[in-house]
Amino acid sequence: MSKKVFTIKFAGPAGMGIKSVGQLFSKILIAHDFNLSDYSEYPSLVRGGHNTCQISFSQDKVFAPHYFIDILFSIVPNHWPQHLGEFTKDTLIFSDEQIDQINPEFNQKRKGKFLSLPLKTLANEIGSAQVVNTISLGVAAYLFNFDLELTKTIVCGFYKNFCDLNARAIQSGYDYAKTNFSKYKLNLIYKPTTKTTDFYEGNEAYSLGFLAGKGDFYCAYPMTPATGALHFLAAKQEAYPNLKVIHAEDEVGVANMAVGAAFAGARTAVGTSGGGFALMNEAMSLCGVSEVGVVYYLVSRPGPATGIPTYTAQADLLHAINSGHGEFPKIVIAPGDIDESFEMGYQSLNLAAKIQTPVIVISDKFLGESSTSTQDLTKIKPEIDLGDIEKNPNSDYKRYQYSQGGISPRTIPGTQNGQFLANSYEHDEYGFSTEDATTAKKMFDKRNSKYKLALKLAPKANLFGNKSAKKLIISWGSTKGPILEALKNIKNSSDFAFLQLKTLWPINPDIKKIIDGFKEIIVIENNGTGQLVSILKSQFDFNPQKIHLKYDGRPFFPEEIVKKLNN
Amino acid sequence: MPTNYRSSITPTWCPGCHNYLVFAAIQKNLSDLNVDSSNLVMNYDIGCAGNFADFFKTYGFHTLHGRSIATAMGEKIANPNLFVCVIGGDGGIYGEGLNHLVSAVRSNINIKVFVSNNFLYSLTTGQTSPTTPKGSRTKSTPTGNINVPVDPVKLIKSINPDVFVESVDNRDMVKLNDTIKRALEFPGFALVDMIQECVAFGKQLNS
Repeated sequence: MSKKVFTIKFAGPAGMGIKSVGQLFSKILIAHDFNLSDYSEYPSLVRGGHNTCQISFSQDKVFAPHYFIDILFSIVPNHWPQHLGEFTKDTLIFSDEQIDQINPEFNQKRKGKFLSLPLKTLANEIGSAQVVNTISLGVAAYLFNFDLELTKTIVCGFYKNFCDLNARAIQSGYDYAKTNFSKYKLNLIYKPTTKTTDFYEGNEAYSLGFLAGKGDFYCAYPMTPATGALHFLAAKQEAYPNLKVIHAEDEVGVANMAVGAAFAGARTAVGTSGGGFALMNEAMSLCGVSEVGVVYYLVSRPGPATGIPTYTAQADLLHAINSGHGEFPKIVIAPGDIDESFEMGYQSLNLAAKIQTPVIVISDKFLGESSTSTQDLTKIKPEIDLGDIEKNPNSDYKRYQYSQGGISPRTIPGTQNGQFLANSYEHDEYGFSTEDATTAKKMFDKRNSKYKLALKLAPKANLFGNKSAKKLIISWGSTKGPILEALKNIKNSSDFAFLQLKTLWPINPDIKKIIDGFKEIIVIENNGTGQLVSILKSQFDFNPQKIHLKYDGRPFFPEEIVKKLNN
Repeated sequence: MPTNYRSSITPTWCPGCHNYLVFAAIQKNLSDLNVDSSNLVMNYDIGCAGNFADFFKTYGFHTLHGRSIATAMGEKIANPNLFVCVIGGDGGIYGEGLNHLVSAVRSNINIKVFVSNNFLYSLTTGQTSPTTPKGSRTKSTPTGNINVPVDPVKLIKSINPDVFVESVDNRDMVKLNDTIKRALEFPGFALVDMIQECVAFGKQLNS
């Protein structure tokens, strides 16, 4: 096998197991030591519509799914014309329809090779209309030269109660392909360069990071695309007896419960998307003034309002940075990939405990609901920072004592002599309300001075590529994968360096020094107004030569970025 | 010797306000039950009743308006060993924060909620509240309140009959004291609706 990245796509209506077959295909890839990166699209529907799951895989690291497809399976007829633009002359399109039944207009526009696959007939022979997805998987297993028995074992492990049925479906697809599609078989010889161990969605990786960071209170109201973390963590409560996962009455309740839980000593996070996050703003301001550290896991989708619920955008960065009324310190960090989603799961808890202020982890649908293969995250044991806790307070304990650096040791309710008032009003060192001008200013200054430590502890930016290149790409969050994948594939890759900002607020002044070392600045963002550009402009003289934006609900694909960089 | 729950700050309510009675009754009963002030978390809503916050010296949270119950639930779930109370007014508990009240009642979570129900928003100078009688002329309803009032006891009982909820007229000090005592002792969610007339703005009520 060459270095080529292969891309496969499964398409069909919601409820036909598109996501399942994608997951199974990925599990089979992992068992064969492939690296992978996947991407799913689905409508806000339970049945019907058009779902897809595509997986790009290679024996080398794949940073992002590719746009152009090598093989597409239309699980039921007519779920391929939506993807005409993604076909090349070599694309294989499998669908359960005869070529002469197809709308001639589609056929005329179509690139690639159309192959008729009688999924319904084969499924009827097996005795279940449901298995069309696993039959397709059998065809793929043949074409990619996967180990048939290993494939069956993995499928059986997934469909435990329907093992025999699905094993027969795999065999049926495999045999059909052997008889009819042998000329398309890719005789791959596996020479793994890495040992992959597992793949995770961003939401799962964040949740595992939260657990590794001793997170023990997670509160949410279901909202796509953050719900994956709620489901994942809710199911972990048996394995983690201290863990409490609460689905509260609304996002206002979620955010205020979280304040109470964190005040009571829990390592606390809430999960939501843009609309829910808007409802949490007042409570975030409360965390700011009462110095209670809560983590907000914000998984963005396109707005405004209900927007395009199951699609992606990086459109909430300014909202995150400006969230909560009044002025108080806040930390906004953005993972760029699965490993960083995991890292920020625990880093955010450490920061919230140490700085005693809100920490926002901003992800998006593309990162939160897409998978990438990586190391076994469950084996990582990060350092835990519980922050400054006063266990033996004296009789005149001041919770909000003025201090160098602004951080005052907190007591956890239950501690003798540690009684204090956490207060939504401006307050004195004990926490009691005040309207005194001198105290108000001193308390503001105390809180604001915590930014210094925040800058020191918050994740540092990554600089990739040729550090002495002329051109610098700047981006943040989930665009990291497509940019790295583009740089892997672009001919003149040594012309570029890539700066990935991981902390979006506060902005580290060192960023300016890095930027000043390059002649041409190119910003890439998955939003319509260039929100990172606005932030950097607010901090220092910043005039990027090019700004590439995408705001149609879809992520950037590496091919698009290559094209933009070549222009 | 009774436990001391007091801060050194002198209460700032109007002379003659019922909250002085409530303050005394809550302290007495907490002390009678030997509730350790370092294991007690009082949550205060916003309003005249919320201003209990500065007069207690226990663990406390002067929360956002309407959100005191949600904050209290977070504390109790995070650490069930804490003794968790809420003090608020009719505006915060039955209006702004009604969804949180419903949620707490449904779960029968072991928190104690004390509502100084004076049928008005008094700290903001006497606008209509969820319990203001129909027809009352207030600053926000100069031609008379068109809404029927919420009956908190009926409302809560209809959601979950297993919780403790009672209304008590504060003028009957013995009954107020006894109701608070039974609420504190109840092994689940308890709410005491403490009826009182606002000494500053109560005259305008059409009751």
